[in-house]
Amino acid sequence: MARQVAIIGSGQTKHGRRYDVTYPDLVRQAVIAAYENTGIDAKDVDGVVSGTMPSMMEGIAFTHLYFADAMGCVGKPIMKTETCGTTGMSLAQTGYYWVASGMADVVLVVGSEKMYEGDSQATMSTVMEPFYLRPFLAGAPGIFSMQGQQWTARYNIPEDKTREAAAKISVDHHRDALLNPYAHIQVDLTMEEVKSAKIITYPVRFWDVCPNSDGACAVIFACEEKAVKMCSSPAWVKGLGFAGDEYWYGDSDKVAWQCAMEAARQAYQMAGITNPRKELDVAEVYNPFTFVELLHYECLGFCEPGQACDETLKGTFARGGELPCDPSGGVLCSNPIGATALIRVAEAAMQVSGTAGQHQIGGAKLALAHGLGGVSQFNGVMILSSEK
Amino acid sequence: MSRKVAIVEVAQTSGVESGDNLLDQLFRVCKEVMDKAGVTRNEISTVVSAASDVFHGGVSCANAYYWDSAAAFLKNGTRQDGESLLAFQYAVMRILTGHHDLALVVGICKGSENPDNDVITYYFSDPFYQRQLGMNETFAAALQMRAYLETYGITEEQCAKVVVKNLGNALRNPYAHVRKKLDVDTVLNSKRIMDPLKEMECAPKSEGMVALLLASEEKATKLTKRPVWFKGFGSSMDTFYVGDRDLTKGQLRNAAKRAYDMAGIKNPRTEIDVAEITEPYSFHELMWYEGLGFCGEGEGGNLIDSGVTQFDGELPVNPSGGVLATNPYVSRGLYRLAEVALQIKGQAGERQVDRQVTTGLAHGCHGFAGQFHAVTIVGSE
Repeated sequence: MARQVAIIGSGQTKHGRRYDVTYPDLVRQAVIAAYENTGIDAKDVDGVVSGTMPSMMEGIAFTHLYFADAMGCVGKPIMKTETCGTTGMSLAQTGYYWVASGMADVVLVVGSEKMYEGDSQATMSTVMEPFYLRPFLAGAPGIFSMQGQQWTARYNIPEDKTREAAAKISVDHHRDALLNPYAHIQVDLTMEEVKSAKIITYPVRFWDVCPNSDGACAVIFACEEKAVKMCSSPAWVKGLGFAGDEYWYGDSDKVAWQCAMEAARQAYQMAGITNPRKELDVAEVYNPFTFVELLHYECLGFCEPGQACDETLKGTFARGGELPCDPSGGVLCSNPIGATALIRVAEAAMQVSGTAGQHQIGGAKLALAHGLGGVSQFNGVMILSSEK
Repeated sequence: MSRKVAIVEVAQTSGVESGDNLLDQLFRVCKEVMDKAGVTRNEISTVVSAASDVFHGGVSCANAYYWDSAAAFLKNGTRQDGESLLAFQYAVMRILTGHHDLALVVGICKGSENPDNDVITYYFSDPFYQRQLGMNETFAAALQMRAYLETYGITEEQCAKVVVKNLGNALRNPYAHVRKKLDVDTVLNSKRIMDPLKEMECAPKSEGMVALLLASEEKATKLTKRPVWFKGFGSSMDTFYVGDRDLTKGQLRNAAKRAYDMAGIKNPRTEIDVAEITEPYSFHELMWYEGLGFCGEGEGGNLIDSGVTQFDGELPVNPSGGVLATNPYVSRGLYRLAEVALQIKGQAGERQVDRQVTTGLAHGCHGFAGQFHAVTIVGSE
């Protein structure tokens, strides 16, 4: 049966426009940072999990072959996991299962993206099949704007209230990112600047949207015996969940979003969590758009349906609130897609290990990490704890 | 390992071009494998798929497109890219943890809609150094074949024998894409693609949807009289740049040793009853004999000459026709495993080998000159 598994450390690159390094060098920086963080090296690792977004992003197919040397996995077993935007979460879950199954003791998990090498929105347009979806769903903003609109319409949330709550999320997270040394976008914004920014896809405005980023993240998973030897404050994996929706965008309810609720249900059940808002100390929600974060407060069970705006405006999910979300600044401030959800896992682990530095949430013991992807189709959740 | 995992049933499509679309083809193999075992979609707890994205199928994030057809709606699922045997390994891990007890593993490749293999493998190359050279898998294979022939005195005739054997075996396999009765001279006289590789020594581009139903011991013994038990797995990655490697060596030995150690196999040549291996180029089969320990270093040519690996030999290799007959790029590793499972179940039809099969080996590889190898051992006990 499943062995106990912990995250013993992680490494991230500085995310941003990284014209200073090649793609494998970017990966290498994250791997070296993870080794420096944990004090172990490649010889201690039994296997490596690799993953990125689709090959069109950088024009390289099967990047695990290209990164073999940068990941230090020559002569080692690998897994190559990819599930679109959820890739980072699926990578972390692969690391968990590999160790929990007993087939490896220590596994290095690496996610990366170098988005300035290509055209991310063109790439994402090819996630849509060529006949029906591609002609009218191009890139990410259109999909998430529709989902946001569907949500406000369902609960009759006044437009100015949604706008206000979304703007607060943007201002808060961009301020959070000022304390995160790895974050890409670090600016101090006013509510007015967010609300009057140029429209990308109505009602999404410029500061509601994540950036393109170059960046990589590496996380090390270990079995109980090794974790306690190698690390003084391991982050134990207590729960995980993943679910996928229909492919055809119009076929599923994107408001009472089944795959998000199902992924959370699986993870909470495994972790024994019955009241996530009360029991969780911090959450890293996958928030490529401000509206997506609001929607997920509801789908992940942090508040009642239709209440996300009110709770946000009360400060429930801000730093210092009842359940701080994305103290790292989240996806909104750094988004190297293949690494993005893995960064959520790394950040959640850092919070419960007490190693998040300036953006540490004091006393955090139980954390949630979340990933989302596909044509708004996949959700994955991982629960991490300071206690075994 | 505290639990046991078995393959319950398998289903596959023909490698021949089909007018059916990808979603229909995939749906049918998933339905077939569930019907054979008498289970419904609701009983499956996890789906692990293997496919590649935009360069192969024209759709990025391949798993997004086929999710519904792969029986994965609202299920805990995931995808492996590049090598479909990794999807099998991942499903085994998921069952070993006890979090899941019935898993669907699928490999997806609609070759007829793909560009030529080497249009895709060209994009494995790094954009700065190799791509300017036009590097692709056939290019790398030609360099490797020359090194192999010259180092060990292997002959082009011995390589051609692999093609004769495998395409001949494919005549017994209704799912095979290319099926031909050939002689060595015909292979040797086929067009030179990249010296010393001839056209008939290179695998085609095939369709390939394959589904395997995996279960924990408790479930498996209820669902089938002939479970095929997971025994061992090993994989290994080589360095990226072809010029940095000794192309006559490689990582297969390493991958095989891991699988053999897990399965408790000491003498693969006598303990393995049938092997299905990934040989996208004729000479690969001879090299992989050596890497898998079926013979000594440099003896791959002698082994094919001896007849041991023929359909009626002591260790039949690729009785299905192998990858030279059917090559759905990403799903080909799972095809190997499905064929081994059928041999162990005694359900391989006309291509059932004429000997008791208790232990079988499936092998997958991809990347320039076999940069990555994976080996799986399964058995009847």
